[in-house]
Amino acid sequence: MSLTTRLGGAALFVVAVAAAAALIHFAVVLLVPVVAAHDAYARLAELGPPGTTAPLPRAGPNERRFPWGDPALAGSFCRFDLSGGPLRVKAPVGRAGFASLSFHTRRGAVFYALTDRAATHGLMEAVIVTPAQMRQLVAHDDEDEPSQDLRVVSPTVAGFVVMRAFSELPSLYAASADQVKALTCASEPPTP
Amino acid sequence: MVVKALAAGAIGLALGVAASGSILADPPFGVVTIGPWRVAAKAGSLEADPYTRAALARSGEIPLALGEGLKLVARVDSAGRPLDRRCLYRVGSRTPAARYWTLGLTDADGYPVDNAAGRYGFRSSEILREGDGGFSVFVSALAHAGNWLPIGHVQAFALSLRLYDTPLAASAGGIEKSSVPTIDREGCA
Repeated sequence: MSLTTRLGGAALFVVAVAAAAALIHFAVVLLVPVVAAHDAYARLAELGPPGTTAPLPRAGPNERRFPWGDPALAGSFCRFDLSGGPLRVKAPVGRAGFASLSFHTRRGAVFYALTDRAATHGLMEAVIVTPAQMRQLVAHDDEDEPSQDLRVVSPTVAGFVVMRAFSELPSLYAASADQVKALTCASEPPTP
Repeated sequence: MVVKALAAGAIGLALGVAASGSILADPPFGVVTIGPWRVAAKAGSLEADPYTRAALARSGEIPLALGEGLKLVARVDSAGRPLDRRCLYRVGSRTPAARYWTLGLTDADGYPVDNAAGRYGFRSSEILREGDGGFSVFVSALAHAGNWLPIGHVQAFALSLRLYDTPLAASAGGIEKSSVPTIDREGCA
């Protein structure tokens, strides 16, 4: 075997390794969100059944479930599944301070959010629907009396809603924790 | 020939998995650097890139929506040196416009660090301010007068600045370097 043939073989080997590595790398990156067994949704599943409101644990050194949480904010959540019908979410805002609602896909990404600035009559309220439910609702809408609901289309059938409330002082955290307990997530009957 | 191809495949598999592991620990895409701070404004959104999405799924973080606020994380000081638990840092004295902000200290993974004072961060609504409305937070392992943020028992730490209800949310890239707090190293033990 001549020197050039051997060098060519070695180069081919290196290229093959690099190609295999790149292929595996992209496959891993794309598959992680699909197969991640311990994503935010799975962690929330340990804290409460779907359709019910449960408090989020306060961020602290001994609470290692949700990284990058803020101990100044109290939180609560509910997991949802839209296969049984749309979900009506209601969250009363407190006297003062920042409060927000965020709607997350099954994979954790936020598809909609609103803050207490968008509250009407002291309530943050929205109806989460699938694209099909949205079409049905629109088809059934009364043209003379349009629905006042804020309808938000969820890209995934399952997901979760998080309510957060800011405590202006450490001593006011308990009041914020009480405030987020009032989050409700109620399944609406499917449109006939 | 077959042996060589299999060897190439096996080495490629190992390299590919290793590269994925390290890159997902801190995905570099969609991140804006402002002074010592890094912000991935789209991290929690539907438009996040595949790397950021995978990192989110792995970490279990519940991201803030753009409309709620922004999270800025610093692992270095304003001179670009990694944050060191043996040093004293002064963080101040202004933040970009926001209804509220908090400044917290966490370990490298984003969890608060246990300390005797039980202090994990400061809120804009509780902090002691200077006459001109500016502020200084002192970050050190040893107790310090004023707004003291203890480092606690940890080797590597990060500072996180959260801006709630900020008009900047729509354009993280538009944050001026002069508007974010500086992290000045005042001395080291």
